[in-house]
Order: sequence, then C-alpha cells, then structure tokens
Amino acid sequence: MPYELIAILMFSSMMVMLFTGQRVFGAIGFVAVIAAVLLWGDRGGYDIGFSAAIKLMRWYPLLTLPMFIFMGYVMSESRIADDLYKMFHVWMGGVHGGLAIGTIFLMVLISAMNGLSVAGMAIGATIALPELLRRGYDKIMVTGVIQAGSSLGILVPPSVVLVLYAMIARQPVGQLWLAGVVPGLMMAALFILYIAVRCRLNPALGPVLPKAERDAVPMAEKLRLLRAGVLPLAIFFIMMVPFVKGWTSLVESSSIGALSAFLAAVLKGRMTWTVFETCLRQTLGVTCMFMWIILAALAFGAVFDGLGAVKAIENLFTEQLGLSPWVILILMQLSFLLMGTFLDDTAMLVIVAPLYVPLVGELGFNLIWYGVLYTITCQIAYMTPPFGYNLFLMRAMAPPEIGLKDIYRSIIPFVGVMAVALAIVMIFPQIALWLPELVYNR
Amino acid sequence: MNAMRRYVALVDGFNYRLGRIMMYGIFALMGVLAWSTLSKAVASPSLWTLEMAQFIMVGYYILGGPYSIQMGSNVRMDLFYGDFSPRRKAWFDAFTVFFLLVYLGILLWGGIESTQYAFQYGGERSSSVWRPYMWPIKVIMCIGIVLMLLQALSELFKDIIFLRTGERPLGRADREVSDAV
Repeated sequence: MPYELIAILMFSSMMVMLFTGQRVFGAIGFVAVIAAVLLWGDRGGYDIGFSAAIKLMRWYPLLTLPMFIFMGYVMSESRIADDLYKMFHVWMGGVHGGLAIGTIFLMVLISAMNGLSVAGMAIGATIALPELLRRGYDKIMVTGVIQAGSSLGILVPPSVVLVLYAMIARQPVGQLWLAGVVPGLMMAALFILYIAVRCRLNPALGPVLPKAERDAVPMAEKLRLLRAGVLPLAIFFIMMVPFVKGWTSLVESSSIGALSAFLAAVLKGRMTWTVFETCLRQTLGVTCMFMWIILAALAFGAVFDGLGAVKAIENLFTEQLGLSPWVILILMQLSFLLMGTFLDDTAMLVIVAPLYVPLVGELGFNLIWYGVLYTITCQIAYMTPPFGYNLFLMRAMAPPEIGLKDIYRSIIPFVGVMAVALAIVMIFPQIALWLPELVYNR
Repeated sequence: MNAMRRYVALVDGFNYRLGRIMMYGIFALMGVLAWSTLSKAVASPSLWTLEMAQFIMVGYYILGGPYSIQMGSNVRMDLFYGDFSPRRKAWFDAFTVFFLLVYLGILLWGGIESTQYAFQYGGERSSSVWRPYMWPIKVIMCIGIVLMLLQALSELFKDIIFLRTGERPLGRADREVSDAV
C-alpha cells in the first residue's frame, strides 16, 4: 500500500474512533501503535509508544505546563482577581459600555498571568458576568465579551499553546511569546473598539453607571484600588524579565511565576484548605489530560514521520495541484477553522500541528509568524460551535439566565473581529515579528 | 459480579490514594526548579535539577494518570456522545475501552523491553553531565502504565456492573467530580 494511503487511512480511522466519544488519548494512541506494529513490528514498531514517553520526558518546555495550569487555578479559585475587577469597575464606569471595556482590560491582565484561557473564563463568568448583567448590560454582548476576552489567554504570554507549538515547530519559545504580545494587544484593542462603537450607537447595550453611584466612591478609594493592578503586572514582570534577559530558563521562570501567584494568594489570606485542595486536584487532572494526549499524539506523529507523509502531502499540493504557497496557507487556515469547529481543541492542537507546521516550513514561511496565526486560529476554534471548549465552560459557569442559544449568538461578532485580526497579521507579518526582532537582534 | 465489585473497590481505592499523594508532586517540581534558579544566582548552576524535574514530571503524570481517569479529566469528543443516555454511554465505553487497553498494553510491552535494556551492561545512564541511572524512572513508568491498565479494566467493570444492575459503584473521586475542563 502506498504511504500516502496509509497516512490517510490512519487519519480517517482516528476520526471515526473519536466520534464514538471515547477518551481521546486512547483513540490516538491505539491507531498509532497498531499502525506501527503492522508497519514495522519486527523492527521495533512496538516500541514507538514507549519511546514517545522518553522523548516527552526530554522536552524541557513541557515542565511549564503544570506550572501555568497551577497558576491559573490559584488565580481563579482564590479570587485574587476580585480587586482587579473592582478597579476597572470604578474607573471605567463612566463610559458607554465601560464595564465591558474594563472586562477586556481585566482579561488582558489575567492573560499575562497564566497560559490558558480557562482561568480568564472562570473569573469572567463568575465575577464580571453577574455584575454586568445586574447593571443592565446586554446579555448577549457581555457573554461574547467574556469568551473573546478569555481567549486572549493563549495569545498573550505566557502561553501554553505557544509552548506546545514551539516544541512541534522547533522554534524558540521566547521569540514566540514576544511575537504574541503585539497581536494580542491589537486584538484586545479591536474588541474594545467594537464594544465602544456599538455602545455609542446603541447606549442601551451598555448603560453608563449613574453619576450618584460613581461619586459615592471617594477618590482615595479609587486610588487604593489602582494598587490591585500592581499585582498582575508584578507577577508578569517577575516571571518574564529574568527569562527575556536570559538569567533564568523558561521552565525556571514558570516556577517563579507559579510560586509568586501562590504566595500572593497566601499573603492575601485567600488560600483556604478547600481552595488549595481544588487547585492541586485540578492541576493534576488537567496536566494528566494534556500529557497523555501529547504522549499518544507523539507516537502518532512518529508514525507519520516514518511514512514521510508530510513530504507526500506537500508534493500533492505544489506539484500535482500547482497551488501557490499563499493559496495553500489560506486553505490550511480555512480547513483548520473547519476542523476546529468540531474537533476538541486540545486534540486538534497535537494532531494537526505536526501535520501543518512542517508543511508551512517546507513552503518557506516564517515559523514564528505562523505560530501567531496558528494561535489565533486556535482561539477562533475555541469559540466556534458546535464544539468549542469555551462554549461548554461558559454553559457550566454562567448564570442560569444565559442559555446555550445566547452563548452561540454572542460569539458571532467577536469571531468576526478575530478573523479581521487574523487577516491583518497575515498581511502584515511585522505586527508579530517586530517585538521579537527588537529584543533578540540588538 | 461480586469479584468485579471487589476488584473495582481495590483498584480504585489504591489509585485514588496514590493520585492524592502525586497531587503534591507539583510542589516537588516547583521546589527543584526554584533551587535551580537559586543555585544559578548564588553559586554555580547545579547539574541535576533539570533532569530531576523531568523525572518528577514523569512520575506526576504517569502515576497520577489513573486518578485523572477516575476524575473523568480525560477529554472526549462529545459531539454525539454528550447526548447519549447513561446506558448507551456505558455500552459504548464498554467496547471502546478495549482500544485503550490495547494501546496501554503495547506501551507496556515497549516499556518492559526498554527497562530490561536499562538494567544491562552495568546499567544504562543518561547522557547528561549528571549521568543518572535510567532504570528507576523506567521502572516507575512501567508501574504507572500497569496501574493505568488496571484502572481501565476497572472502568470496564464499572460499566458492566452498571449495565447489569443499573447501579454504578461510586468511588471517592466520583463524589468530587471535576467540573472545569
């Protein structure tokens, strides 16, 4: 059987198996090891699963994974972000849609403290959302605000998605993280612009806080609340500065970040036993989920590598179909988005990346830049129905008056904004590449 | 049926306790990495920390794996599955768990070969400066994979018991079901 055919067979049988709703890592791992045994059983094919485990052990950046997950849970469970929300509340209340805009700022700060979107989601849905609803904000708009805002968690450094990407693409994590900064802030700015314009056109969507209420908070209190903003920035710089300066490795920095978030929660008296236990348990659960999927996907990728499938697919596109690299890139992003709508995004991350990333490299594109495109696409995939992580999390965490239909409707404009951001970064690669070049090429 | 129940109680109980211990591994990891940072700042960088951290990480996710299965942390693609009735879910799981068992079995096969190799020729060592022996971590990995196998089997038995009696034996992890992720 020709190798391309085996590759397609493997991919499609895996997809079919995933639809049965079994554990994702079991399905991927099964296809990988069975294919390996059938192909190279007598020459060490049975070994592919376990050697993936050894390879996984040697991937230093993966040590950051439990650290960032832990950080995220410490932040959302201990509610050290409450003050942060209050800060934006009193300072932004006087603007049309100000609380929604403040929520985006809040999400940017939370994103700077952790590497996944779950923490932002939890904080947004439990702290910001009920308050916004109470103030008469339009429920569909604010639901979208929180989902879009929390998705910034994977683009603004530190980002777990970019760590995984870095390993697959063999690119430096530091440069990738820096590449995510400007596009992340740009996307936040676009969200804010969208909210501001809509609330100006239709003030009922985001009513201004009554003047009496705004004046009820004395200036001293307002200034005191500003201090809340110091904490996330402090954690961010304690973590990032030594890393970018080269004093600590990425992994060491992540442990400093996790430790300082933990200490901050302890010092604020928020680290109760229940919170502590939940953080530890969830960190173990989520880390295991990630690690076992990556383990299985690594074996899958190793079989694909052995088949030379990437070369074959590239050949198919460029030689036989005669497509230009840009057309292929755009087609890839589209298919990625399409898959993202029905594939679980963790699985997508580890299955699709080993297929796409080498192909992008073969086509001669900059892999740091593609890392940003890839992450934005992941963000969109996160949010799009019928299968988006955020949608389910939102349903689990949001107040009961927000139905699934509201959640679905809420994301439409924000996905539009994100698609615009994706297009801008595609057309102007310098948006992503400017900062890493500035920092690393002095 | 009673044998199955006893098996489930035994395996789930053991893996639960082990998982609860491994949970604290995150602090061991943090501690080693913090020491690594400190040693760089104060004295010469220590040679063993990064590799030690890797070993802890492997122990953390492989030995913690069975507990994560109990918690239901492993993602599934629930496009259709999510709408299934509990009985249909159990039926599907009772079959699909064999894919998982085969995967873990082949993983273990490779693991045992690799561990045997690690014991030969005076013991395989890592090629780093620290040069630790490789067999301890490989033995731990094999034990972890065996525990995963036992846990997967326990999941199968739980489904069978549920399909037969309509009642699912509840472990301690079930009562503290993880909601997020």
